[in-house]
Amino acid sequence: MSDQPAGRVLDLNLHLLDRQVVDTEGLLVCKVDDLELEPGENGALYVTAILVGPRALGSRIGGRLGRWIMSIASRQATTPPPRIDMSRVRAIASAVTLDAHRADLGVAPLDDWVDRHIISRIPGSRHESE
Amino acid sequence: MKASDFIGREVRDHEGASIGVITDLRCVQDGPLRGGAALLRVDAALISTRHTGATLGYDRRPRQGPWMIRAAVRWLHRELRVVPWSTIAEHDGVLQITTH
Repeated sequence: MSDQPAGRVLDLNLHLLDRQVVDTEGLLVCKVDDLELEPGENGALYVTAILVGPRALGSRIGGRLGRWIMSIASRQATTPPPRIDMSRVRAIASAVTLDAHRADLGVAPLDDWVDRHIISRIPGSRHESE
Repeated sequence: MKASDFIGREVRDHEGASIGVITDLRCVQDGPLRGGAALLRVDAALISTRHTGATLGYDRRPRQGPWMIRAAVRWLHRELRVVPWSTIAEHDGVLQITTH
């Protein structure tokens, strides 16, 4: 740690966790439920991905409630918890902005399915009035 | 490894005495480039004897109001320490500061 860091300084709990994640069009993608940390070649620890979903949130909450959330979510899921690599992050401000579209990220498959098969068929859902 | 693996964990000094819990991880964006931006590097751990109110930011923003809440939270976290991450190591599941 130096007195005057060369880069921007962020506190993970204060500036990143629980922030909204939006796509290139400003549409809500998810929230930052947890952050993946990986050691680099020099031994330093780096934030490498945003972790999404109840399994990520459950481990963060901890205790009986956290274990309960993780247990239910794990029974319904067959794949690893969704993650968004930090290479997709364009900006970190009051929200985290990505350089990708929500549908291409695959972090909320149920939401995507409802959007594609139900919401998009409702007249007016595609901003025709604008 | 996840941020939640560390935030909320107790930290002990080099003699094994508890000095508090990690309320936050301070990062500096000076890591290797990934996707056009530098990765966030964990630079320090913010350690306090209490976790209450730590996510509100009053303990780190000197002018955030209202002042009564700021004063109360800052009093709760009056012993907040910023410890370089390079001096913290894990031994047998216990986070410990390796320097005096």
